[in-house]
Parts: sequence; structure tokens; C-alpha cells
Amino acid sequence: MPPHLTGSDHLHESRRPLIAPPRVSRSLRVGIGGPVGTGKTELVSCLCRVFAGELSMAVVTNDIFTKEDAAILERKGVLDPQRIVAVQTGCCPHTAIRDDISENLDAIERLEAAFAPQLVILESGGDNLTATFSRALVDVQIFVIDVAGGDKIPRKGGPGITTSDLLVINKIDLAHLVGSDLAVMDRDARAGRGDLPTVFVSLRNDPAATPIAAWVRSQLRDRSQARKPAAHV
Amino acid sequence: MGDAMTSLPALLLLADGRFPVGGHAHSAGIEAAISDGRIADLDDIEAFVAGRLHTTGLSEAALAAATVWRLGMPGVAVAEVLKAVDAAAEARLPVAPLRAASRRLGRQLIRVAGSCWPDPILFELAGVHPDGAHQPVALGGVAVAAGLDSHQAAVLTLHHAVTTPIQAAIKIAGFDPFALAAMTVRFTESIRRCAEVACAAASGPLASLPCAAGPLVEIAAIRHESVAHRLFAT
Repeated sequence: MPPHLTGSDHLHESRRPLIAPPRVSRSLRVGIGGPVGTGKTELVSCLCRVFAGELSMAVVTNDIFTKEDAAILERKGVLDPQRIVAVQTGCCPHTAIRDDISENLDAIERLEAAFAPQLVILESGGDNLTATFSRALVDVQIFVIDVAGGDKIPRKGGPGITTSDLLVINKIDLAHLVGSDLAVMDRDARAGRGDLPTVFVSLRNDPAATPIAAWVRSQLRDRSQARKPAAHV
Repeated sequence: MGDAMTSLPALLLLADGRFPVGGHAHSAGIEAAISDGRIADLDDIEAFVAGRLHTTGLSEAALAAATVWRLGMPGVAVAEVLKAVDAAAEARLPVAPLRAASRRLGRQLIRVAGSCWPDPILFELAGVHPDGAHQPVALGGVAVAAGLDSHQAAVLTLHHAVTTPIQAAIKIAGFDPFALAAMTVRFTESIRRCAEVACAAASGPLASLPCAAGPLVEIAAIRHESVAHRLFAT
């Protein structure tokens, strides 16, 4: 072994960090990302409405101009304003969800400590196709694109499109107006995502966000089933 | 006191803007100064940063250095020292949004440091206040955990006092990044002198630590909190 790796300073068992990453509650943390204007805030507000009375929820928004998205959610009255926190990202929406998740993690943990929600939604600021959430921040992530950006978007790829746990293609009611071919988008999404699911939706015509709400419910079910055996050990 | 060669990598890590402590969301008041029309060109930025360095920067550097110096005393009661310096920091932050931001940045620094350096001081730091220790106190404690001395903690604090508003100015108004890199270097001598003052005060009574501040920056910070189209938290 090279001499610089054999010194006593090299990290070993006894030098493990003393403070484990804190995890106050076991809420399902869902990240929602995607380019500007594709319907992320609309999706969050649909999910808040759908799950009201069914689940305890909290939302963290990361709008580029800070409180815009949080204000929209508050105006729509879909969730108690105390359960909505806006985080500032200093011009760097992708940094706040991937490279330096401190502010978002802090906001989520405070909401979890205050309300013990079953579901926390973290909405990223609108960004480009390379934005993804850190695995230390969310359990699963949804990437939202729309048909108005052109049917080439799924083909362009990027980690949001190829690796997100659910790809949402929104505004399909506009497809014929903007000349986007849904079959092309479907084909390219399948090619880039393998077995990962993609749903086509028009949140305007389906304000219950039916396929996305069903997917979130299945994630919650998977988590509770995954935890059951451990409880009986 | 840390051996310079041993502590250098830790110092560089803590000085790196990419170290995940949430600093990217803060402009150290320069966003408000730009949107209020108090900053229009590079000279204005240099004057703003100089003001920041010799007021808030110096006060924070002295608090950080005082934390490190006290934690280095034999038989020190760590929790008491941290609480005392935290109270001194609180007294130097008259404005609510800046107090909140300071605690927030403090707890975020303690979080990441806790996964980097195995030192019981970080446990004590986490217990200083439910909202987190003030940032300079957290930085002082983390500096000790990382093997830095009080002078390094002071320089590190002053370095951030200079680079935080400068980096934000680049993003807010598209100022020339090369000119601003050169400006950062021009503050080298000021940082050296401020660090000397901070370290000289560090071993004295907490009440005698520098307490310079910029009233206009503090007033602007109150208003900034309610500005609709802001990019930075402070």
C-alpha cells in the first residue's frame, strides 16, 4: 500500500462521525422537480387538495424568487400556511436540492418535528433538465415536463428524465395546439427510462392528478409494508 | 493549537463555498443594497465589502477566535463557554432576521461538521440553543473539532465576510467575476489586520470583544425579509 494511505490519520472504525444524520420522523419525502412553468406548483396544490383529510402533509417550496410558490399555495387555501415553508436558494435551485441541501433539510426536519406529517412534498425551483434531488433529501422524486416544451424533451434526457422515480408529462390537452406527438414522447421516455413509470396528464382537466396521486399512495403503501416485518422481529 | 500543515486541508474545506452549510442562500446584505440602488458599480461593491469586513466581519471573527481560545484552556467547561460566547453573539445582533439567519447557519454548520469530525464539542454545540448556536460560535467550535487555531478561525470568518457578498453580487447583477476575484485578493491585507485585532481581543473579556455593526445593512435586512422578488435569504 502506498505510504500515504498507511498513516494513522486514515479514517478507520474509531474515527466514525459521532453525529448521525438526524431523522426526526419517518414521513415519506417526495421531491418534485422540472423546468419552469411545467406545472410543479399546480401538481403540489392538486396533491394537497386530494390528500386533505386523508393524510397529514407539509410542503417546502424553493421558488427562485422565494415566496411566489408558497404564496400561490397559501392563496389556494389547500394547506394550513404553517405547514408551508419557502426556502431561499440564492439563484441556485439545483444547488439547494442536490449539492448543498442544508436549507431544505433544515426546513423539512422542522416541519417533521412540528407536525409529524405522513407526507412531505419538496418542490424545487424551476430548473433545467440536469436537476435532481439528493438521496439524502428525498425518498422518491417526481420530474415534471410538459408537451409545450416540444416532444423532443424526453429524447434530450438528463438525470431528471432518465432517473426520476416518476416522470410526469403535463398539459397533454395542449399537444395538438403545439404540434407535440405524444407517441413520440412515450417512445423516447420508455427508451430513456427503462422500467421506470411515466404518466401523461392534463392537470387542468384532471385536477385530482389521478395517476400521480395513485403513485404517491403506492409509495406510502410500499413504505409501510417494508417497515412491518421489522416491527415484528 | 493546530499544526499548520495538518490543519490546512480542513481549513481549505471550511473555506470552500461548495462545503454544504447553506451559505449559497445568503448575500450578506448586498442584494438589498443593490436593489435599493446603493450599489451600482465595482467601487460601490468594494466599499460595501470593506464596510462589512471591518464591522460585522471583525465582530464575528473575534467571537469565533474567542470561542477557539476559550475551548483551548485546560479544564474548560465546554457547555458554559459556548453559552457565554453565544450570548455575546446574540448581543451583537440587534435585528431579528439576522439573528435567525445566524442561528440557522450555525445549526447547518454543526450538522455537516457532525458528519465530518468526531469531536464531543459538536454535541455540546448542538445543545447551546434549540435553534442552533450563532454562526461564529458554531464556527469556533467546529474549528476546534477540525484542528484549527483561533487565528485560522478568525481568517476563515473574515474570508467568508468578503466572499459571501462578492459571490452574491456576481449572481445578482452579472458583475465581472475576474474583477471581483481581483477585488477579493485586494482585501488580503485588511483580512490580516482584522484577524490580528480579533485575536488580540479573543483572550480578553467577552464584553470587550469588538461590536462594530452597519446600521443601514441591519435596517435593510428587516425590509429585505418581506421583499417579494428576492433571491437570497439575507
